[in-house]
Amino acid sequence: MSIMEYNGGAVVAMVGKNCVAIACDKRLGVQAMTISTEFPKTFQATPKTYIGLPGLATDVQTLAEKFRFKVNMYKLKEEREIEPRTLAHLVSSTLYERRFGPWFVEPVVAGLDKENRPFICSTDLIGCINFAKDFVVSGTTSNQLYGMCESLWEPDLEPEDLFETISQSLMNAVDRDCLSGWGAQVTIITPDQVITRTLKSRQD
Amino acid sequence: MSGLKPGEVNLGTSIMAVEFAHGVIIGADSRTTTGSYIANRVTDKLTEVHDTIYCCRSGSAADTQAVADIVHYYLQMYSVQNGKPTVPLAASLFQELCYQNKDNLSAGIIVGGWDKENGGSVWNIPLGGSLHRQPFAIGGSGSTYIYGYCDATYRDGMNQEECIEFVKNSLALAMSRDGSSGGVIRMAIITEKGVERIFVPGDKLPVHWEG
Repeated sequence: MSIMEYNGGAVVAMVGKNCVAIACDKRLGVQAMTISTEFPKTFQATPKTYIGLPGLATDVQTLAEKFRFKVNMYKLKEEREIEPRTLAHLVSSTLYERRFGPWFVEPVVAGLDKENRPFICSTDLIGCINFAKDFVVSGTTSNQLYGMCESLWEPDLEPEDLFETISQSLMNAVDRDCLSGWGAQVTIITPDQVITRTLKSRQD
Repeated sequence: MSGLKPGEVNLGTSIMAVEFAHGVIIGADSRTTTGSYIANRVTDKLTEVHDTIYCCRSGSAADTQAVADIVHYYLQMYSVQNGKPTVPLAASLFQELCYQNKDNLSAGIIVGGWDKENGGSVWNIPLGGSLHRQPFAIGGSGSTYIYGYCDATYRDGMNQEECIEFVKNSLALAMSRDGSSGGVIRMAIITEKGVERIFVPGDKLPVHWEG
């Protein structure tokens, strides 16, 4: 029994034309048993940046709170919002601080920088950053998500098309993972607005 | 009693069988898993061992397939020499295999069928190889979530339609809570006339509270 597979969960982020999308499932389980279908794993860091946190649920909650604190302190000291690339490094150092007793999460960062250029990345549980130009995946469904994203993603998708692409990638990937699913949430970040939609999905 | 070996394919499962006036209704989900990966999402866990005798399989896919194949063979031989086998006979064969090989098997089987002497009957054979005739039986990892629902909902003397709804709703609830169960619901109505299969796709599953 792997600790990363105790609660289950899936997160994916994609780059589009002047936009990014981040999506997650909503299941909280204890191994095979589903406890809740209202446990989304994406959290807003700034108005234009989101963090996805799949993994052990207690660490998901703790790190969401820690990053909220760190982002707020950054804003108070710097008198500006944190940039996505900087947030990625903040996430990386927070995780590496616990190199020999790690947080059991593998975060995803997605957002638009101050010039509204798209940014996504993911890290492993000890903070190694993977900067990607196309998509990043994380969680118990990562293998299935790799397959779906590799087939469906193409560059320069408009926000509406990116929504469809990331939604289909997530929905069909989690349908092949018994520890993820039971609902899905998709957030599209554009220079003008951020829209979060909840998808109707299989409840098995 | 052994558990699954690493890499072995698991019929996580929710299975069920209900006896009614003219026969039995048997039902199962359709998920097969290897670890957390869903290896088959449209599995058929309702296996024929004779014309009007079926079994519902849960536990190790390999173990239950092997056991069902052997019972199918024995019943073929028996029917050639002795005429139609009865459901208790088939259940007894399953029991013998499951009990004598209990150390090496991971198989939870429900036998359901129709024969002339007994009408419809349901026989539950859980992990150790004991045999239990029951008016209705539930099994598999998903069954743990629906003991209360089934006890509260079951009534004696339900007709065919009521039994089908009972099985459909129970399995849908189990599939919703159990990660190892899901996909579609397969049911079979077994009566004197033979076997009629029913298929309930994922989007037609009964929906309950999903808070």
